[in-house]
Amino acid sequence: MIESILSLTFLAQVLRMFTPYYLGASAANFSERGGVINIAIEGFMIISAFGYAFFTLTFGNPFLSVFMTLILATAFSFLYALLTIKLKINQIVTGVGFNLLMAGTAKFLMMFVYQSSSNTPAIQPIPGISLLNSIPVIGKAAGDYIIIFAFVLIFLSQFILFRTRFGLRLRSVGENPEAAETLGIKVRLYKLYGVLICGVLSSLGGMWLASNQSSFSDGMIAGRGYIAIAAMIIGKWKPVNIFFACLMFAFFEGLEITLQISGSFLPTQIVQMLPYVITILVLIGFIGKTSPPAADGVPY
Amino acid sequence: MDSENNVIVEYREVTKKFGNFTANDSISLKIYGNTIHSVIGENGAGKSTLMKILFGIYSQDGGELIVKGKPVKFKSPLEAISDNIGMLHQHFELIEDFTIFENVILGSEITNTGVIETKDTRKRIIDLIDKYKLGLDIDNKISEVSISEKQKVEILKLLFRNSEILIFDEPTSVLSPVEVDEFFKIIRMFKAEGKTIILITHKLNEIKELADRVSVLRKGKLVYEVNSNELDLEVLSREIIGPMEVTHLTDERAGTDYDSELLLSFDSVSVKKDNVLKLNGISFHVSSGEVYGICGVEGNGQSEIVDTIIGALKISAGSLKLNTGDVSLVPDDRIGKGMIKEFNIGENVLLREKNVTHFTKKNIKETSEKVISEYDVRLSDSLSPLASLSGGNQQKVIFGRETGLDNKMMVLVHPTRGVDINSSAFIYKIIIEQRNKNKGILLISSDLEEILKLSDRIGVIFKGRISQEYPKSDFTFSNDEDKHNFMVKVGKAMIGIE
Repeated sequence: MIESILSLTFLAQVLRMFTPYYLGASAANFSERGGVINIAIEGFMIISAFGYAFFTLTFGNPFLSVFMTLILATAFSFLYALLTIKLKINQIVTGVGFNLLMAGTAKFLMMFVYQSSSNTPAIQPIPGISLLNSIPVIGKAAGDYIIIFAFVLIFLSQFILFRTRFGLRLRSVGENPEAAETLGIKVRLYKLYGVLICGVLSSLGGMWLASNQSSFSDGMIAGRGYIAIAAMIIGKWKPVNIFFACLMFAFFEGLEITLQISGSFLPTQIVQMLPYVITILVLIGFIGKTSPPAADGVPY
Repeated sequence: MDSENNVIVEYREVTKKFGNFTANDSISLKIYGNTIHSVIGENGAGKSTLMKILFGIYSQDGGELIVKGKPVKFKSPLEAISDNIGMLHQHFELIEDFTIFENVILGSEITNTGVIETKDTRKRIIDLIDKYKLGLDIDNKISEVSISEKQKVEILKLLFRNSEILIFDEPTSVLSPVEVDEFFKIIRMFKAEGKTIILITHKLNEIKELADRVSVLRKGKLVYEVNSNELDLEVLSREIIGPMEVTHLTDERAGTDYDSELLLSFDSVSVKKDNVLKLNGISFHVSSGEVYGICGVEGNGQSEIVDTIIGALKISAGSLKLNTGDVSLVPDDRIGKGMIKEFNIGENVLLREKNVTHFTKKNIKETSEKVISEYDVRLSDSLSPLASLSGGNQQKVIFGRETGLDNKMMVLVHPTRGVDINSSAFIYKIIIEQRNKNKGILLISSDLEEILKLSDRIGVIFKGRISQEYPKSDFTFSNDEDKHNFMVKVGKAMIGIE
């Protein structure tokens, strides 16, 4: 069993699991840094996973499908921004509504278009990067554009949030919108930017999952959107810390899969519990020390 | 300095109204470049409103504002900032989780294709800190620095934005005496560099020390102006307080023979808040059957007295004795501390009752109606939330609740602030009634007329201690002249020149 954990296959597995978590957690972070809580990450992932499946099955071109799905997610982001920023509807309620709406829409369309309540036909995955795929095991398993982007995003989001004017202003809006406004910052515009970035990143996470499983199936996101939010909180809204939090979740999810395959002495149910038990334990250990942006979730 | 072409800001018959209330009534005022101009007046005289018009927070309803020779009507602070006007507010506009550096540049960042330029900007800010001896570390987070440092960060923000006209709204109220001296030095440096400073204050010593010219506002009107070389503090304090209205001060206590029982005593009590000494060895006592009135300029320790009595602040030295059970409190912030504004009268009253564990709609309605009839509360529906009542009626509800508790000791803070005349008269009647029932009443107010009308003894609070105490005989007047003289005397004690 130890052998299977120390293997390159396991490492590749962890890197793959890491990708949707990190995209989702970064997405949530950009939104919350601007002061908008978006618990609809799950829903954005679901609709994007379905969207990617639908577009590839319709057009056949994976890159075009990614592009189309991003447009779809952005449209939903505008709707979310309209409700939460412009109309100031409670963000949690809106988020829950979006999650239900998107899960239902995906399932309905799957039934309508593909006459199946469980999954779409098989789809083309997002192509790998050939240079990386020539590296044995890891490169082959974890060498696609979205995985690489997830890793670049660690540094990119750190840079954007803490080194650019955009990041400084976005954070100021999430911390103290009144102060930001007196300094001439367009508070709602920055909140909108945060929500749009959130939509794009979570959409990439959803698409990657569909691509990875070569189809869209009902329930495939399986709460990863929520785990991503937990990772953001454990990571204290900081890109590098969020990386470690996501890595931890990915590790335990990888462990769960490996243990199930290799057949461990632990009952399957216990193994499946692991990521969630760890979430609770880590939250108990960290929650006292985490503090969200001061004006997070407060309409302005 | 009086040369007409040196006028940098001019108000021409500027009027600002809030509903029926005229905050600024046709004010014409000139501020000369490179001077320290002080605007003084009592609370509610219209100083802050006048300055907020200049800074673009409010727009005037009438009249003209001329800045550097051209008429302006700023729609937002941003427009004022671009005209090199900066304002230091009483409340800081800082982001706690940001470093000083980030707070200073926010909104005025120097960037290179969107990336914040740090090297030169940091150097520029550090140079400003050194030049004005602000003693700040630009990498500290705001949440880690003291209040006086926060104020320096706000000043730094103004300097970074090249403000030439600096408005300071009661800047020293958050500072300790040593910090005040430092602050004065900074202000003098600004003047030496050619900046114009407008200083809103009600501290006469600051005017004496700094101002080149003083304008006095009273009840929204400009009533007096003087240059520093002709400044007479006696005249100035008369102008601030204004002519006295004649009121008959009748002692309505019908010869009650009460046992004077000591209810509350502060014995050399010192209290710190945020590491600033707010009560500095204060001593006074309140007995049953008397109203002890504390008057003073706000911020001299009044709110800390209340917070100490209710146990929200800890005493660092001295002793406080409270020889009674519960204390009834009418707090200064009626809506924030005195009630739950979404609740109706009955709910607000029942909340305060210790022995009520459950109640019915009927209880609530009966309780509401009892208060409404006994305290003459005017409203359309006995179950409407308190938020829908006028200030005067809200205050009557709070009085009804607090007197209904029948506690021996009552603490009343600004009992008639923002309350109309009729309700005020009613509230005065309740206060006298309560005293005649042998209650001990601590009355804190910045309205001197009110203090004189109700109190049996008066204490003047200044810098965290009672600086003067007057027995009833000192303010039982036979004529208006005596009363006026006494009020001027108290007024001076309130601002620490006697």
